[in-house]
Amino acid sequence: QTGLHLLNPAGHVTSSQVQWQTLKKFLALAQHFRLAVFLADTTVLTLLSQDALRQRDRMTREPHCSFLCTGRPITSFALQANQWKLNPGFLLAAEQKGFELLEVRGHDPRLASLDTLSGEEIPLHFLFRLHGYIIHVVLLYERSGNYLWHGVLRLKANMDRSFAPFKLLDYGRHAGAYDRPELMLTVIDSLDIRVPRNISQFLMQQQRAQYLECRYHDARSFLQLYPDDSSTAAVEFRRKAKALLNLAARTLGELDIPFWISSGTCLGWFRQCSIISYSQDVDIGIFITDFRPDIAEAFRDAGLSLKHKFGKVEDSLELSFLGEDIKLDIFFFYKDGDIMWNGGTQAKSGRKFKYIFPSFSLCWAELLEVKVRVPCETLDYVMANYGATWSIPVRSWDWKSSPSNVMENGVWPMAEWAGLIQVY
Amino acid sequence: MGSKLKGQIDPDSPSYVQDPYSRYSHPPVLEPSLAGAVLFLLVTVIVNIKLILDTRRAADEDPPAQEYEDVIPNMETPRRPASGRKVLDMEVYSSRSKVYVAVDGTTVLEDDMQEQGRGIHVIVLNQATGHVMAKRIFDTYSPHEDEAMILFLNMVTRGRILIFTIKDEGTFHLKDAAKNLLKSFGSQASLNLSWRDMWTLVVKKGGPVCGEKHSKSPALSTWGDPVLLKTEVQLTAAEEAECHWADTELNRRRKLFCSKVEGYGSICSCKDPAPIEFNPDPLPNNNVFNVPVAVIAGNRPNYLYRMLRSLLSAHGVNPQMITVFIDGYYEEPMDVVELFGLKGVQHTPISIKNARVSQHYKASLTATFNLHPDAGFAIVLEEDLDISVDFFSFLSQTIHLLDQDDSLYCISAWNDQGYEHTAEDPGLLYRVESMPGLGWVLKKNIYKDELEPKWPTPEKLWDWDMWMRMPEQRRSRECIIPDVSRSYHFGIIGLNMNGYFHEVYFKKHKFNTIPNVQLRNVDSLRKDSYEAEVQKLLTEAELLDHSKNPCEDSFVPDTEGKTYVMFIKMESELDTSTWTELAKCLHVWDLDVRGYHRGLWRLFRKRNHVLVVAVPISPYS
Repeated sequence: QTGLHLLNPAGHVTSSQVQWQTLKKFLALAQHFRLAVFLADTTVLTLLSQDALRQRDRMTREPHCSFLCTGRPITSFALQANQWKLNPGFLLAAEQKGFELLEVRGHDPRLASLDTLSGEEIPLHFLFRLHGYIIHVVLLYERSGNYLWHGVLRLKANMDRSFAPFKLLDYGRHAGAYDRPELMLTVIDSLDIRVPRNISQFLMQQQRAQYLECRYHDARSFLQLYPDDSSTAAVEFRRKAKALLNLAARTLGELDIPFWISSGTCLGWFRQCSIISYSQDVDIGIFITDFRPDIAEAFRDAGLSLKHKFGKVEDSLELSFLGEDIKLDIFFFYKDGDIMWNGGTQAKSGRKFKYIFPSFSLCWAELLEVKVRVPCETLDYVMANYGATWSIPVRSWDWKSSPSNVMENGVWPMAEWAGLIQVY
Repeated sequence: MGSKLKGQIDPDSPSYVQDPYSRYSHPPVLEPSLAGAVLFLLVTVIVNIKLILDTRRAADEDPPAQEYEDVIPNMETPRRPASGRKVLDMEVYSSRSKVYVAVDGTTVLEDDMQEQGRGIHVIVLNQATGHVMAKRIFDTYSPHEDEAMILFLNMVTRGRILIFTIKDEGTFHLKDAAKNLLKSFGSQASLNLSWRDMWTLVVKKGGPVCGEKHSKSPALSTWGDPVLLKTEVQLTAAEEAECHWADTELNRRRKLFCSKVEGYGSICSCKDPAPIEFNPDPLPNNNVFNVPVAVIAGNRPNYLYRMLRSLLSAHGVNPQMITVFIDGYYEEPMDVVELFGLKGVQHTPISIKNARVSQHYKASLTATFNLHPDAGFAIVLEEDLDISVDFFSFLSQTIHLLDQDDSLYCISAWNDQGYEHTAEDPGLLYRVESMPGLGWVLKKNIYKDELEPKWPTPEKLWDWDMWMRMPEQRRSRECIIPDVSRSYHFGIIGLNMNGYFHEVYFKKHKFNTIPNVQLRNVDSLRKDSYEAEVQKLLTEAELLDHSKNPCEDSFVPDTEGKTYVMFIKMESELDTSTWTELAKCLHVWDLDVRGYHRGLWRLFRKRNHVLVVAVPISPYS
């Protein structure tokens, strides 16, 4: 209440003071109900992560609210959903303090699996509005691939579309996946606020957080047509593939090298939300620009052995490792104008092949409870590779001729074979 | 089967009332006849389809919502406005082979299946909305069903609309008490109802009779002519149909529940409603506070209600962690779940009979670990269990064993051999090679790495629990159980199945009612310590006099607190006849061999601990 008496030298209540008061009120409420909301606002966090000079510059302009009042009418916070105690008290108290509330619910993705389960919709986003300022609280749910997830913000038909400038929101255009951030309590503009300890890392994740849920509905239809192989061999293969995928994700994660599931592994995720049991290996893709020479060593340390290495960093590089008794194939992708391609090499003849894909970006997804990336434009990617009939299983597959996007690409010069075709 | 004359023995196996959920963890001893089974399957399928069609179907994959970019006008159709009608048209039909009830042209009951639905059908409607709040059949051709009907009718709130109609025969065991109750409702015919009469009645409880029709059976061998009652019922204002409870969050749930269903006792009493929040004591060091609890349910809402009440009353319960998984889109179980403010999840039924249960189990377990990715365990319960007040305390004291001892498969609250006369010591634990289920803890690793990937597929019509007990799955691991069970399987009571079966095998099961029991020597349950423990027991045990008949009471001396040992013949795993004989005369579980540890059974007789050792297969022999 005191805030409205906080006048600037000219004697006016400034808009930034109103925003600051709004935030103060909200944070006091959250603290009272022990909701550990943390600041997730990209604009504010960017300011916080920048150098002191710039900060001082802002200080002179907005002495009371130099970080939080960004000129945007929205401030975003996030909250781990397991702290959301289904306690109507918090929302009630917020309303009593004058906040208007918009709650957006959605399906619980943790119930979306190959079985048809339906529970109550879960809260995904809360928007609190006071004096024209919006506080956006994004709920983060624990998922089984050891990451946090938030849902897409969809307005139902009967919701107020003018409640907030939805296009300006940092979160909600897509679903997102995040690592569990380590938080610290700090004081910003004399308010106690939790922020991610590693702000720049959080912001980087925020840039590439888009998450794709597997298409369980379609996968169920597919599995009705082509039931899953439940033989001991198939079960064993899936177990090993899961272990190998886990190991790849961990190893490349430690090296900070982004990868995505490719070829048959990607098809398996897209088509049946699982591993194709007769696919025999696990395929992943890495941008050649992310290549590091210590990849091979890291996998060796993780217990895999290098099986073959084809090509070179400049052209058609391909690494293959052996896990328990299944292969991890790593294809390196090269950009060429508006397409991406990777190479293939036939060991005995030195023949080269090229597989061409339309350009794509990367999204998060979950396969066998492992958080992995997939091309966001998954259908285009799968269609490029497997053609329009990708949804029909093909058991006999020749990597040199079956893919829709394979092209002959000459032959490695015989003199270079020793370096370019290494089989162990 | 039709109705039979006095003195004839009814084959007492109405397989059609058997819900697959009533059959958890029993051996297939009471398999109905093949024809019955086929009929049952057919009925199950039809009933399922019908239920799927006409009850709350959660909107599946594609929500009718738009991205927030697209601004489109409000297109949601408003809920059906409360119609201005104040009168309901009723049609109620009673005959030998068919009954139906239509309210305002909507059929709310239709039963023309052969060999089922005999007796008095009762429907309760909300007097303000006309919604069906309860449907029951009381087979008053059979004994004691009229008592159940009286109990039910007494629970129905005053003012509700009651509809009665007889199919086939409903008077043979309709005693005077029930007839008098019907008379007190205003029935003119009830006192005269007799053998194979047809009868319908529509009445407001505590209010006027809206219509009644009765047709007498002319002779013992024939039925009365069918009757069709057409009448109107005046609806009352909504306020008159509701109680005036204080406006709290709890009462809002209660109000919603009580406007939809009937038959839950004093939950909906206006003056003194039963509590729906229990606030049991917390546990001081609760190691299972954050362990998810999965309640596996079918369509037995009254059971679920009883189960959840006992669960929510157990010390140390954390309602946040409870999820009820309902097999099918049934309304009423979901209403019960919401009454208690719990989370409910519905599952589209897959397959039939035991395989359906099995698929529901799998989906529920998978979802449980999805919903709680951090959990290392799940507590698995079923809708027909009472939960002991110290259930969580029992688990809190033992759960660490699952992490520390790889030779364990589960912790279960149920002792298959723990009857009133064979269980004694609430602080005592055993290791057993069988997997009892009926309230148990599953380790995530075991589920995720072993069970889930090879869970039986729907076309294999397997019992999930039988499958879990197979050597390929159990892999010689054991379960920890208490001497005195922490769960009580009430599942068969009231179900119109073999009362003798329940009486003998379940009713006399001992159930712990003492709070905060301190379990003794929990760490001696680890694999190696337990062997030492058993050896010690065997050393100190006195040999029983094997020249006496073990079925005679004098076989075990009239002492107290002593340990005895006896030996029985068992040449191989399959040679179970001696044990079965012994189990029969001890009046314990004898339908298959359960509750042993390396050929050793432990139980109590006359307050003495008795060790039964199988010779020669037991290493203790």
